[in-house]
Amino acid sequence: MSPVAALALLAALVLLATAVGLVQRARAGRLRSASGTVTAADLGVDAPLGARASLVQFSTPTCAQCPGTARLLSGLAADHPGVVHLEVDLTRHPDVADRFGVLQTPTTLLVDAGRAVRARIGGAPRRDALEHELRTVLGGPDAR
Amino acid sequence: MPADRPPIDPRGPRFGAGVTAVLLLVDLFLALTGAGVAAVVLLAAICAVFAWGAFAGIGRHPYGALFRRFVRPRLAPPAELEEAAPPTFAQGVGFVITLLGVVAGLLGATGLLAVLAALAFVAAFLNSVFGYCLGCRAYVLLLRARIIRPA
Repeated sequence: MSPVAALALLAALVLLATAVGLVQRARAGRLRSASGTVTAADLGVDAPLGARASLVQFSTPTCAQCPGTARLLSGLAADHPGVVHLEVDLTRHPDVADRFGVLQTPTTLLVDAGRAVRARIGGAPRRDALEHELRTVLGGPDAR
Repeated sequence: MPADRPPIDPRGPRFGAGVTAVLLLVDLFLALTGAGVAAVVLLAAICAVFAWGAFAGIGRHPYGALFRRFVRPRLAPPAELEEAAPPTFAQGVGFVITLLGVVAGLLGATGLLAVLAALAFVAAFLNSVFGYCLGCRAYVLLLRARIIRPA
């Protein structure tokens, strides 16, 4: 291959990687609608779910954004009585990753008092959007 | 790999990934223009640095030392520190991919070397520019495929 053709190929590769990065950044942390129900047994944890809502976080030890996400979610839980933050280490519970179809960590589920999954977030959550949805869930169906 | 390593400035690994991404682009250029031997030698050097980071830990990485000596003094303190385990794991992923590339090059499969160097470049570029960890995503998939076993 000529040097000019090689450089063109390298430029195309850089553009491709940039496009992948931009798409990923636009999608990460967004709330998506979700369905299904969750019990503590499904998650393989001993701790009970929250009385009013739960923030369930799936993590792995090699995940760079998991500790920051844990701080964000436990802060939200502390600000809202009856809300619990539960962190599940998928390395110890790979069956949980299968059950919930987890493809990346952190993945967060917003679960309401009736144990229904109301929203799902891949990547580090965007605090404002998550808190808004959490307030909606805490307000009950009438607040929607 | 031991998990009890002190936390690090997260900008260190991103600086290192930038250096690695540039070196991988140079390597890819060598492979594409027919300088197969030079491509294998450079990729072997990149692979050796990955091995250093993976086995000695990210805290002892040579690019991390460069970062602390020349870059960090010019920056504000980090907003928060990061666990050492994720970037150390990422170094291991880079080590495996570039090692496969070196083996391919030694067997004369320069095309395969180029593909693996391109893959490693994309991962290093995404890490450096976007802070996005492709290897972390691979970890979850390996876990679900039961290639990584529960601790």
